[in-house]
Amino acid sequence: MRHGPLKLAAAETARERLVSFVLAACAAITILTTIAVVFVLARETLAFFLDPAVTLWGFLTDRTWTPLFATKTFGIAPLLAGTFLVTGTALAVGVPMGLASAIYLSEFASDRLRRRATSILEVLAGIPTVVLGYFALLFVTPLLQEIIPGLNLFNPLSAGLVMGFMILPTVSSISTDAMQAVPRSLREAAYGLGATKIDLVLRVVVPAALSGIVAAIILAMSRAVGETMIVSLAAGQRPFLTLDPRETIATMTSFIVQAATGDQPAGSLASRSLYAVAATLFTVTLLLNVISQAVVRRFRERYE
Amino acid sequence: MTSKAAAHEPDAATLAAQQSSGATHEVPARRAAPQLGDDHVTVRTQSVADADAVVSIRDLSLWYGSFKALHGVTLNIPRNQVTALIGASGCGKSTLLRTVNRMNDLVPDVSVTGEVEYDGVQLYGADVDPVEVRRRIGMVFQKANPFPKSVYENVAFGPRLTGFKGDMDALVERALRSAALWEEVSDKLRQSGLGLSGGQQQRLCIARALATEPSVLLMDEPTSALDPMATDKIERLIDELKRDYTVVIVTHNMQQAGRVSDRTAFMHLGRLVEEGPTDQIFFNPKHEMTERYVSGHFG
Amino acid sequence: MSERRARGRGAGSTDATDMFDAGGVNARRRARNQRWFMTVVGLPIVLAVGLLAVLLYDVITDSFSWQLVEPRNSGVSFSFSDGFRPFSTWERVVTLDLLAQGQSQDQIDAMLADPEARRVYDARNRVELMLWADGAPLRYVVSSSRDRHLEDYSLAEGIARYDELEAAVEDGQMLYLNPWLDAAFFTKNASRTATMAGLGPALLGSVMLILLVIALSVPLGVGAAIYLEEYAPDNAITRLIELNLNNLAGVPSVVYGILGLSVFVRGIGLGPVILAGALTLSLLVVPVVVIAAREAIRAVPGTLRQAAFGLGATRSQVVFKVVLPNAIAGVTTGVVLAVARALGETAPLLLVGAAAFVPRPPEGILSIFTAVPIQIYAWVSENDIEFTHVASAAIVVLLAILFVLYAFAFWLRRRFRSAT
Repeated sequence: MRHGPLKLAAAETARERLVSFVLAACAAITILTTIAVVFVLARETLAFFLDPAVTLWGFLTDRTWTPLFATKTFGIAPLLAGTFLVTGTALAVGVPMGLASAIYLSEFASDRLRRRATSILEVLAGIPTVVLGYFALLFVTPLLQEIIPGLNLFNPLSAGLVMGFMILPTVSSISTDAMQAVPRSLREAAYGLGATKIDLVLRVVVPAALSGIVAAIILAMSRAVGETMIVSLAAGQRPFLTLDPRETIATMTSFIVQAATGDQPAGSLASRSLYAVAATLFTVTLLLNVISQAVVRRFRERYE
Repeated sequence: MTSKAAAHEPDAATLAAQQSSGATHEVPARRAAPQLGDDHVTVRTQSVADADAVVSIRDLSLWYGSFKALHGVTLNIPRNQVTALIGASGCGKSTLLRTVNRMNDLVPDVSVTGEVEYDGVQLYGADVDPVEVRRRIGMVFQKANPFPKSVYENVAFGPRLTGFKGDMDALVERALRSAALWEEVSDKLRQSGLGLSGGQQQRLCIARALATEPSVLLMDEPTSALDPMATDKIERLIDELKRDYTVVIVTHNMQQAGRVSDRTAFMHLGRLVEEGPTDQIFFNPKHEMTERYVSGHFG
Repeated sequence: MSERRARGRGAGSTDATDMFDAGGVNARRRARNQRWFMTVVGLPIVLAVGLLAVLLYDVITDSFSWQLVEPRNSGVSFSFSDGFRPFSTWERVVTLDLLAQGQSQDQIDAMLADPEARRVYDARNRVELMLWADGAPLRYVVSSSRDRHLEDYSLAEGIARYDELEAAVEDGQMLYLNPWLDAAFFTKNASRTATMAGLGPALLGSVMLILLVIALSVPLGVGAAIYLEEYAPDNAITRLIELNLNNLAGVPSVVYGILGLSVFVRGIGLGPVILAGALTLSLLVVPVVVIAAREAIRAVPGTLRQAAFGLGATRSQVVFKVVLPNAIAGVTTGVVLAVARALGETAPLLLVGAAAFVPRPPEGILSIFTAVPIQIYAWVSENDIEFTHVASAAIVVLLAILFVLYAFAFWLRRRFRSAT
């Protein structure tokens, strides 16, 4: 073959540059997404707080939230309380179960069983939340009403219970990875000192994998806080400041849905309240995600 | 430290003669390793009497699945001395070591025949709990493996397993002193064990093993991952430890065996070829294979 | 001999007789403890499987119900063989029913020939194949939106009390076992009446959404993944992009809905149409695609790249002719899983304005729309027990689709793993 001079043809160079540019643009769009989210939320939230009817102090301390009613109050506490109730229940259910599942899969299960169980958990994680909301409202709540007196039809307990199963796979898979990363030499050392398998799991493996487990829990918390459909269907859309899990409440997410599916004209104070709540939600989940990633990074070098 | 003979160097006199004559160093001729038959009987010198043995291994054979890793090993480990197990890679010395504290039980598909007797008890008897065995016989591994916990918690781990209720602080200090580590960590007890240097970590593992007050300490190539200075510290430590403990050490470093041990057992392909006082093994080996190993013909 | 020995019970015990485990008591106790421990930690997985099983059972059985109605049509049911005609069952059954009501064959033919009359008739009536009617299995019934629904019994209850219920049927009433998930369910529109409700527009809406989402998010996501793995220099900007992607993956889906509402529906002025919904869902799904694609690209061995470069390929040639083809299985798996996720998303679509009650199927990407999860949400929210049956039927459809998708993805993943 005869070759020309050792320079790439102009057309080819241009093509390479074009490809490079297009691909970089794709990556850049992801940054654009975040910028857009922040911008949209910030702009409307600012307008919300600039409205004379709203004060930052009131937002933080008022005990009622009624932006969609005639007499408007703007205290976010009821929504935070509702979110807390649901998330708390979900964590109380999902974390122990997820941890136990991780221990079983990492320390007791055979390879084949682990793969199968992981697939099942992945399927559980893949069930649409609207289906889980159906299940919570139409199956779990009637069941619980038999046992718990005074349980309303819409309540954070049923929603939290079902949500616990929703976050189980998250806690389990991340914790399993963390536990399996504990090196064999540590296990040998423990056995050599006369530890039983239970000793090994509870005194060596779990403590050694703790940072991964904590990260998993924080991530699960973030998912629970941001979950919308289970709470909209089963927990209620009635902002109410309480810590009683039998009462009907509203969470940040269920309010957002309620406000959006109503007929609020764009630019109205009621519509802006939606954005304010969304901004709060976004900040909380962002914080949780960042903390979770920091926890993982900080303890990554533990074994060396 | 009592003087120990340096390991037998291949033909030192010849070497000197060759160097002065300018000839290049002659590499020992590579010959095929001789085979040992099933009828091989261990060559023993000044055998350890049963009464002096703290661990008695009798006709021990071990299979990994269908692979026979140990062939009828019989060996007495004398009290308060250091016994070294030497041999080429794969000769079964680590396997033999691990039968003493039943660590091999953790490997699937292992079967064992023969006896290991410790202080009058058959360790492989039906009534013996391997977990309890490991609480009485300590082990130190090739690469230091401290737990990602504080120095204090590492040492306290073993005693806590048995619900020790006494003065833990005193016990931890005692163990760390026995491991010649106390001076260096007394002000760092709550810091992570992983923050120590390699040699210090290994001494921490020794302290951890000693905390359960075993009478036998098994060491599986404990310095192979350490630099010469750290190695030296641990070798001196072993010399002190034998006052209160019985030490069995596996090493592929012949010079170390020569420096550190009182008795040496040489193994090859799962068989105990020869055992006797260390000096004798290295300077006057009786079996041809022993002689070829210690003079560097294979390994 | 050291004095240490004489000290008695220390941290460990050198008294060898303590090792004696007479009768293996200790070892058995340990084994029992371990078995108990293993059972306890294994329980959640069993519970999770149980939940899935209960959910499936509940949803499937709830998509059947026994109904006691006062029919407005003929009140007669027709056997399967009488009614079924390949490609014209609907006409056949309608004809039979109208005949039973006393209309003449000419009247019936005239009505069926007139498209407008057909449409009106179809909007108010529904040909259904009931599982048990008039005491026999598989009978056709034409139910009307004006039927009076007297009672609704669950599948189990009806079976248990069948004789009692059947005896209580009076003149002018019908008792039948209605499978809410039938052929008509896939084509009917949403409706104020449960019996007339169907998933037609929702299915179409979901399909159009998914196709658009794939078309938008796959190039974007795979492109970003290629850039990050093959082109990006190791500097702060790249790390920022990666950090940002990780955070995006954790943003609640409802916030994406708000983004879509502000930017696409209001900002650009598209309104609550399919395109806006698709754009919103694409943004949601892109991080998922990127992460999966990156993993697949990373799994391609470096030696292949070296070989290609060594032959004088440009970077884009290496990527598109060598790396991507080898990563295709992993990328496809990621896309399938992303699609499964997008199918079930409700909140973003609610925010964008997907209407629950859409009079007719969407005509193009600029029409208002509904989707399967939106319908489920709407039907569950209705305070009518009959709508829960419709919701159950819709859930069965949705889960069936997801099952196929997941099975496909798992199969792909297994082939992908065994190939590397």
